[in-house]
Amino acid sequence: MTPPLPVLSTAGVAAGYGAGDIIRDITIDVTPGEVFTVIGPNGSGKSTLIKVLAGLVRTRVGEIRLGAIRLTHLSAPQRVSTGVAYVPQEFNVFPNMTIGENLKVSTEFLGREQQATLEQRERVLAMFPEVAKRLKLRAGLLSGGQRQMLAFACAMMAAPKVLLLDEPSAGLSPKLVGEIFDKIETLNASGLTVFIIEQNVKEALRIGDRVMVLVNGSIRLMATPGEITAKHDLHKLFLG
Amino acid sequence: MIAQVVLNGFVTGMIIALPAIALTLTYGILKFPNFAIGAMLTVGAYFAYIANAWLHLPLVWAAVLAAVALAITSVGVDRLVFQPLRERTAITLLVASMGVSFVLENVARFVLGNSARSFEVAIARPQRYFELRVNMEQIYTAATALSAMLAIYIILRHTALGRAMRAVSDNPALAAVRGIDRERIARWMWVIAGVLTAIAGVLAGLDRAIDPLLGWNYVVTVFAAAILGGLGNPFGAVLGALTLGVVEETSTLLIPPNYRQVVSFCAIAFLLLARPQGLLGSVRVKR
Repeated sequence: MTPPLPVLSTAGVAAGYGAGDIIRDITIDVTPGEVFTVIGPNGSGKSTLIKVLAGLVRTRVGEIRLGAIRLTHLSAPQRVSTGVAYVPQEFNVFPNMTIGENLKVSTEFLGREQQATLEQRERVLAMFPEVAKRLKLRAGLLSGGQRQMLAFACAMMAAPKVLLLDEPSAGLSPKLVGEIFDKIETLNASGLTVFIIEQNVKEALRIGDRVMVLVNGSIRLMATPGEITAKHDLHKLFLG
Repeated sequence: MIAQVVLNGFVTGMIIALPAIALTLTYGILKFPNFAIGAMLTVGAYFAYIANAWLHLPLVWAAVLAAVALAITSVGVDRLVFQPLRERTAITLLVASMGVSFVLENVARFVLGNSARSFEVAIARPQRYFELRVNMEQIYTAATALSAMLAIYIILRHTALGRAMRAVSDNPALAAVRGIDRERIARWMWVIAGVLTAIAGVLAGLDRAIDPLLGWNYVVTVFAAAILGGLGNPFGAVLGALTLGVVEETSTLLIPPNYRQVVSFCAIAFLLLARPQGLLGSVRVKR
């Protein structure tokens, strides 16, 4: 039986800013419905990797695919249309727009049928009732955790195949971190593939189906959380 | 007397408001101050003059043609000059816009010469309302400018394009990952800027003679209005323009008219010391 086509894959990707590469030789296959987490020390290239997948940073070498679709030369807006949704770590909502406007603007330029958009909006509002209650509120008035939920909701408006999350728990209290990861699990339970980069190693290991350790821009290890905790010293891995 | 001066200032402010909105939209979306705004105003006035005086169209239709022509010109200039420099610094783009300004002005001079021209419109007697003298040109200016501002308000607040423009202005990277193509929004921004500036050119051409330096009479005040209102905020640009218009006109009660712009800049200097983000701008936090 042939294995399913990876929903998101990279082959030998290298990228960076300026002269040097921040990440190199990144080859990943993310299976449909998986929670794939990336951990690593500060400066390991995690943010660069997720921005490359989102289309915000150009790939210098290698290829990126969403299923059978080649993403490598597609712009960030084009990738959203194909099914890649990205939630940045910070500045992830438009603070001067209302919550309702933030949701609207997330689909208006995707070329989708209005009926499909309305149906997806209803699904998203049902998934995020805390967002649905405050549609006329300016997003800039939300707390950190509420903004994160709104950012997730906006990403889900595009009905993505893959959700890219950039350190979703950054700057949040332990209680809110729990709520955020509960929401991620709920989204994944509906079949959504989730790709997360995370500084919170404990949550990354708890939620991930597979974990990739990125150090100095290269893959140091890729394994299940069980294998990592049983066989490897993360401290040594991080310090290289 | 004061009421007359305030009224005159208000109407002058409305002429300034339209290119100030255009300037602030450009700054908000493309993050550079477009120095060519004055030359664009001049070219808009000339397009309307050609349609009105050469093709004998009524001024309203001449203004419509001028708006379309300047919108196309603006998109073309962006494609040729600004788009290749999109990722450069704001200073580079500002200098490029200075070059565009000189080219546009001198193309107008080459085609139409240096002579002062005026629209072919019927001369109408001023009206009197409550001791105030109101010219027909002032009534047309107010009605046209208010209609244009209302249209901009509706576009920005109640349309998908307006939401996308606000999104790109706020955070271009986030807008991109929400499916909004900045280049597509930039093209529409130039269309709107071209229409607004052409209308301002027609209104300016009603107020004074049309010559290659028409825009220079307004460029500094337009910049001042946009800065006063808070760069990137179209509603602030309107407030800044109306404020400057009234301040400039009322200053003529005390000082010779030649010095009125000095008064405006003193008012701006004082305001920016007290509130550097402008009247309606938001404080930018550096992280």
